Parts: sequence; structure tokens; C-alpha cells
Amino acid sequence: MRQNKEISDLKFALFMSLPVIFFLIFVVIYPLAYAFWMSLHKVSMFGGLKFKFIGFSNYLKVVTNEKFWDALFVSIRFTIESTILTLLLGLLIALILSKPFKYKTLIRSMIIIPWSISLYGCGIMWAQIGRGQTGLFTAIYHLFGGDDKVNLIGKNYVIELLALGNAWNLSPLVAFFLLSNISTIPKRLYDLADIDKMSNFEKFWNVTFPPLRFTIFVFTCITIVMSLKLHDFIFTLSQGGPGRVSSTLTYEIYKLSFKNMQLGFGSAMSFYLLFLIVGSTLMLYWLWGRRLEK
Amino acid sequence: MYLGLFVLLIWTLTPIYWYLKLAFLTPNNINIFPPVFLPDDMHFGAFFNIFGYDYTTADNILLPASGQASQVIRGLLNSLFVSIISTIITMIVIVPLAYTFSRLTFRFKTALLLTILLSVALPPISTLIPFFAMYVKLGLTGTKFGLIIVTLTITIPFVTWMLIGYFRNIPPIEKLGRIDGYGRFETFLKVFIPVSKNGILVAAVISFIFSWNEFTYASILVNGTKAVTFPTSISSFLFQHPHPQHLSASLFLGMIPPFIVAVFLQRYISEMNIVDPLR
Repeated sequence: MRQNKEISDLKFALFMSLPVIFFLIFVVIYPLAYAFWMSLHKVSMFGGLKFKFIGFSNYLKVVTNEKFWDALFVSIRFTIESTILTLLLGLLIALILSKPFKYKTLIRSMIIIPWSISLYGCGIMWAQIGRGQTGLFTAIYHLFGGDDKVNLIGKNYVIELLALGNAWNLSPLVAFFLLSNISTIPKRLYDLADIDKMSNFEKFWNVTFPPLRFTIFVFTCITIVMSLKLHDFIFTLSQGGPGRVSSTLTYEIYKLSFKNMQLGFGSAMSFYLLFLIVGSTLMLYWLWGRRLEK
Repeated sequence: MYLGLFVLLIWTLTPIYWYLKLAFLTPNNINIFPPVFLPDDMHFGAFFNIFGYDYTTADNILLPASGQASQVIRGLLNSLFVSIISTIITMIVIVPLAYTFSRLTFRFKTALLLTILLSVALPPISTLIPFFAMYVKLGLTGTKFGLIIVTLTITIPFVTWMLIGYFRNIPPIEKLGRIDGYGRFETFLKVFIPVSKNGILVAAVISFIFSWNEFTYASILVNGTKAVTFPTSISSFLFQHPHPQHLSASLFLGMIPPFIVAVFLQRYISEMNIVDPLR
């Protein structure tokens, strides 16, 4: 009789994951705690790191800072636009790809490309596309006889451009997961829908859509989280500009912490961002996800 | 129907084409106004330039080698090193973790799972601040070792999450292992891992892509040092020495590995059920 058969679930689980949990504590919990500790201090970088305890005044300084509120508003606007676009595009792509067609593997491989491109790369690409001098939209405008520049990296549309690029990058992933859900819907249901003489839209709404709801909920959460914490894409696309128009919370934190070297102030602001991320997903779960669970 | 597919392909590929055409242009042609869809004289000059070779076009224009070539090459090698090492560590760490989470019930499981999900939601920019301060103290800025550690904060939580969902969908084959007289560890190693090797492979590849594409950490921690990675090494074409055609060519090269992987793995990606662990 082997001895290790006697190990209980808890002991086995501990044995398997304890090293990992220590590791997670080391790379996730400890830095987080350290960041919190830093946020209670005034950190100066000149002549070595120096910390001066100032309590919660960094947190107070954040909420009385006008830039914080601007950035918060930009972040929320960007996130809402990104989420709606990503989910709609993902659903659209999934619906188109769910029909039978030739060269399926080849076409699916091409559709997934945007997802494989790095976010900093996407930022560089979409900067080129949006800029008036070199942009795609200028080229299209000229094709139809215009002779002006169409500059999307201006104060009116830069956030929409960011959201469009973000959705372009994320939607293939959403589509692939939705697609695998759609493929589990029994064909019989569509035959029944035909007997009921449903229109295409009714079929979509009553047959295709209901089994997708949980996946859509999860990806709404994922897109919200991804958009709120997005940094490199914004960094290479617009550098928060022009001016501070597209300066999201992440970009503002980056500027404070690594350009102005106000690490304490920066980490205080980053905790507000973390609350926003966790808060918005919890709220979404409370309002929507709870009802979808089996 | 086919119209939909056509529009979809245009939407997907145009942005890529619009940027990558720069890689094949001579500097004078890049800023032509209005921008054109199909430039006439395209060549591979920039691809030679970024690796430190001169190139002469068909019209006898000499395109000098890029001064950043050594940085680009070093960046490629460093990126490869950092990505491979962090992938290996990630896999060693997460396979047992995901296994215990997907198969066993024990106390504190929900709390631990929530910690993992929380670390997926952590913005890299906030993790970066404490790491930056710690690294300055410990002298770890500009080292590959330091970069690998931070990279793990991205790869581990996300890939664990994916793998838990995948492991859950694997039928309970452990009993078979028990019948053969294996203990728990042997069952895990000799029965479970072979059965789930597809999912483990996808997880490894995704963690490779994540570290390959990582920019935020690298731009602060290793930019301009010996440990520079590919993404940061090419960002100097963007800011310090703007050469759109070189930037485009390098970006194109950097896209190739994730692209190959995505094409080969697209049919497995949806098997990695990231929706499941939440149920």
C-alpha cells in the first residue's frame, strides 16, 4: 500500500500550490503592500530614495487635483466606448464567421491577426492611420474628391480613435469565444425557428443570443478591465495628447510617477484606479452577472 | 454573406497594410501628401538597414544602415531570452496551481482564486511603481533578471486563470490512474499532464506572447540599458531618432512570432475557456 494515497485533499493542494502561493505573495501581494506604504509617504528620488511619512495627504491631494478628475473622465469615456465597440464588433465577427464558407481556416487565421499584434505596435499603427498628414482617412477623403486633411488625433475625436483601435485589437478574441459558443447551439433549434417563420433578427434574438449571454457578460468585464488598465497603446498612439485631451488615468499615473518622479503621489492615484477597476466589475456583476448564473 | 466576409477582411487587414507599407518606402516618399493607397517604388531597404546594412534602391538611392542596428539586434536577443525564461518559470509554477484549483476542493479556495483574479485586474502601471522603487534600492533596474520577475506578474495570473477553465473541462481521468496503482503525484504527472498537453502548450505559447509584447515595464526598467528588449529598442525610432520606415520594418519583424503562433493556435484558443473559472 502506497503511503501518499493517504494524503488528504487539503494537504495535497497545499503541497502542490504552497510554493506558488509564496511566489504570488512575493510578486503580487508584497508589491501591492509596498505601493500602499509608499502612498503614505512623500518619496524623493534625489540622492537616493528618501521617504517622508505624510499619512493620507497624498490621497487627499489626488481628489483635490483637477487633472485627476479630467483623467478619470477620459478613462471612463474611453472604456465605455471601447467596451461597446469591442462587444458589438466581436459579436458581428462571430456571426459572420459562424456561417459556412470556403477557406475557413485561412480566413479565420487572418481575422485573429489583430489580436496577436502587440498593444504598443497597435498604438504606433493607429497613430499613422489617424494623423492628418499620413492618415487613411485623409486618403479616403481625397479619393472622394476632398482636398483637406482629416486629422483624428485632434481634441474632438482622439478618444474615439483610441477606442476604435482598442476594439480592433480585442474584438477577434471575443469573436472566437462567442464562435465556439455558437457552434454548440443545436441546429434543430434553427429548424424549429423556421417552422415558426421567424425572421433573421428574431432567430438571432431568440435562438443565437440567449446561450451567449454569460460569455458576453464575462467579456464585458474583461474589456472594461483591459481598457481601464491600458497604458502602452495610449502611450504610443497619442501620449495623452494633444494637450491632456486623451490623458487617461494610467497615462496620468505614468506621468506623475516616472516623469515628475512623484512616486508616492503616483501610487496613491493608482489605488484610486484599482478601486475603479474592481468597483466597476463588482457593480457589473451585481447588476447583470448575478442573474445569469445557473 | 460573402460581402460580410469581404468587409470583415478589409476592416481587419487595412490598418496593418496602411502602416506596414511604410517599411517598403524611401524616406522621401513617406510624407507624400495626399497619402496614397498603392505607392509605386517599394523595396526591402529598411529591413537591411535595421540590421546594420546599407541598401541601394533600383533608382540608385543609397539608404544608409541604421545607427540603432546594434540596439535592435540586442533587443531581439534579450526579448527572446526574457520571454523563454519567463515562460518556463510560468509553466512550472502554474500547472500544479491550476490543477489543484480545478480539481480539488479545499478551504480558502475561493479567497485564493479571487486573489488571482485580482492580480489579473492590476494595472501594470500600478505594479510598476513599487517595483521601480524596490529595483532602484536593490540595483535591479536594467537587468534581465529584474525584468523577468516583473513579467511574471502579468503571465502567471492570466495564464493560471485560462488553464483552470481548461483543466475543468477534462473528464475525471484520475480514477484510471488510481486503478493502475498510481499515487496522487504520479497520477498528476503520468496521467493528467499527458492528457492535457494541448492546453498546457497553448498556455505556454500565450505566456510567451505576453512577455514578447510587454512594453510598459520594459520602457521604464530596461530602456537604454544593456538589457533593452525589442519593443523598447524600436521605440527609439519613434522618439529619439524618428525613422518611420525603420520603425515599421522592425514592428513587422516583431509581429511575426505572435502571428505564426496565433495562426497555428486559433483553433485551440477557444478551448481555453476563460469564461469557466468564474462559474
